[in-house]
Amino acid sequence: MGLRERLVRFGTARPRPFVVASAGGTRARLIAEAEVRRRGWREAGSPAETGLLVVCGDPGAALAEAIETVWRDAPGPRARVRLPAEASAAEARRVLDAAVAELADVAAQHADAQARITAGPWNPAAPDDGGDTSAMDHDMDHGTGHDRGHGGHEHHMMMRPGGLAMAEQEDDRDGLRLDVLHVPFGPVLRAWPAGLRIDTALQGDVVQLAEVTAVDTTGDAPYWDGAGVRRRVAGRLDSAGRLLYVAGWDGAASRAALLRDGVLDGASGDVLGPRFAVFARRVGRSRTLRWMTGGIGRIAPEAAERHGLAARHGGDVAVRLDGWLSEIAAGLPRLDEPASDRLELGGESGAAGPLAVLPGLLEGEGLAAARLIVASLDPDLAGLGRADG
Amino acid sequence: MAESPVWAVVALPLALAALAWAAAALDAVLGAASAGGTGSGPGPGLVRACGDPLHEAVRLLTQQRRRTLMADRPLTRIGVVVLPVAATLAAVVVPLGGRAVADLPVGVVWFNTMEVAVWGALWLTGWGADSAFPLAGGYRFLAQGMAYELPHMFVLITAALGAGSLDLGEIAAAQDGLWFAVWMPVAFAVYLVSALAMAFWGPLGHPLGGDLAGGAALELSGPDRLVFLAGRYLLLTVAAAVAVPLFLGGGAGPLLPAWAWTLVKTCAVLGALVWARRRFPAVRMERFMGIAWTVLIPATLLQMLVVGVVVLD
Repeated sequence: MGLRERLVRFGTARPRPFVVASAGGTRARLIAEAEVRRRGWREAGSPAETGLLVVCGDPGAALAEAIETVWRDAPGPRARVRLPAEASAAEARRVLDAAVAELADVAAQHADAQARITAGPWNPAAPDDGGDTSAMDHDMDHGTGHDRGHGGHEHHMMMRPGGLAMAEQEDDRDGLRLDVLHVPFGPVLRAWPAGLRIDTALQGDVVQLAEVTAVDTTGDAPYWDGAGVRRRVAGRLDSAGRLLYVAGWDGAASRAALLRDGVLDGASGDVLGPRFAVFARRVGRSRTLRWMTGGIGRIAPEAAERHGLAARHGGDVAVRLDGWLSEIAAGLPRLDEPASDRLELGGESGAAGPLAVLPGLLEGEGLAAARLIVASLDPDLAGLGRADG
Repeated sequence: MAESPVWAVVALPLALAALAWAAAALDAVLGAASAGGTGSGPGPGLVRACGDPLHEAVRLLTQQRRRTLMADRPLTRIGVVVLPVAATLAAVVVPLGGRAVADLPVGVVWFNTMEVAVWGALWLTGWGADSAFPLAGGYRFLAQGMAYELPHMFVLITAALGAGSLDLGEIAAAQDGLWFAVWMPVAFAVYLVSALAMAFWGPLGHPLGGDLAGGAALELSGPDRLVFLAGRYLLLTVAAAVAVPLFLGGGAGPLLPAWAWTLVKTCAVLGALVWARRRFPAVRMERFMGIAWTVLIPATLLQMLVVGVVVLD
């Protein structure tokens, strides 16, 4: 084995996987995340920094295209593996083993890298491999914001030599004339609701316009709504962990994920209770977190009612996080009881309500606040196709 | 103060690199601990995590560079390379055992200058990729600079005022018996906050925030990313190392030689800075700016006034 092989093998022995899930792929995502943690790997923050893409669930055409766009520019050595919605933990283990082997296959990776040097970087104006020649339809839906100024009205705009559109200019809220960038969020983004895509018009880092799209919802039953308090408690922990990640608190986010997997693995409430209490005290008492999440994304009770939102969606981001924490605390002692909507841990009221209020909440907010708002509602799009027919 | 031997010119970057590596390893261990401390492979998870920085470095070294359309590559590269260079140059004025590699009479100003070069570096990195999220990340750091830099400079001046010198060695020597951290607690606390801010680390790491999928560093891959991340750890290390002569009495201490005390104190500060990342959520400048200007600046000015009165006495 030559030096290059040795180095590649050593470096790819601990890859940084990026996990992307389809709307119905929550179960597979949880299995993948647990397996990644079992191996002591760290997840990548974006698909740009890694060559290992783990696709969970069964992406439809639109999500598959977004994943393809990300994949095209993933830096080599790279491997893309899929975990179907019904996959088992053993399958996740096998799939990730295969990925490591693929990453360390120097000859194949080298050939792949050479081919991509010749092909050049992703270009919105270039025809797709798949024969989709309409550059105008081909938005950059990969959530890494790989482009500035891809406007919505291409035919009016001056094109730059690279094929990218120039930024438009519009008056901002203070009457200043500023560049407008059209940037999509999702569906391939970490700690982001699966299957959600929000197209934004940004001025500076302020969202001026937000348009919400559900990508490839299939009408699968939402995973977190499964029978039993256990599943719902785990769902709240999942949401809380993702919100904490978006809030820039990695330590608390991974503790929430650990508790979530403990709940799903069937640990008893007596074991998890004290561990959760430590976590909840740290998060609940964090003045910094309260300072950063208070006052944004406020939903008035009557607005919540009008949009068919559950009562727990009222208030601001900080209030919603507190609501989750107290729901979890209430649910832990009775994990093995069947869920009943009479109790605090109500099921999802459907994603339609959160999706309807999101644009209004996001407009006028900064990027960071916008992401916190989305994370604090954490709509589960799995049930959307079913609810809307 | 004695001139430092020639070998110190080589030893300093090596020592810095070792400390930066230790910081990265500590971060990996703390990360593994909050993820349950498990992990397959040889040895317990936490011990195994110590090897993470090395695996990650090799992974990035053997990784293909990701390219974005119309990226300004020279600007990105300048931004990336300036980080470790500025950090290393900032460290030449740190006295190790009574002597610094470059014993500048204006060491405090030199350190401050190098640290401000980071503003440009991070912004160039964010700008150069021609990508929306890195651009927003780069601008976040400019806002962060506006928030932390003035309190930071007042704090540096306060320590210099206490010693009557801008030479880090003389500032350390002036703390004979009483550390500045003890009788200038506000200045020391603000310095620690600004140390996190200048290395865009932990609670003040929003320019590289997960909400922007990695912010200014989003499009960096391969060796570029390695140099960038190494530069950030070096900055954190230097910020910790400078706290020692400024506030913690430099190399003074019983039994051990001066260089060992400097090292021990640097490691303690560095460990605290690394730990802060796990302990606090990210702070957004739109909210922090108000506190920085209405609380931190008056507080540091008052601290300076108190020090000034004591010194005049």
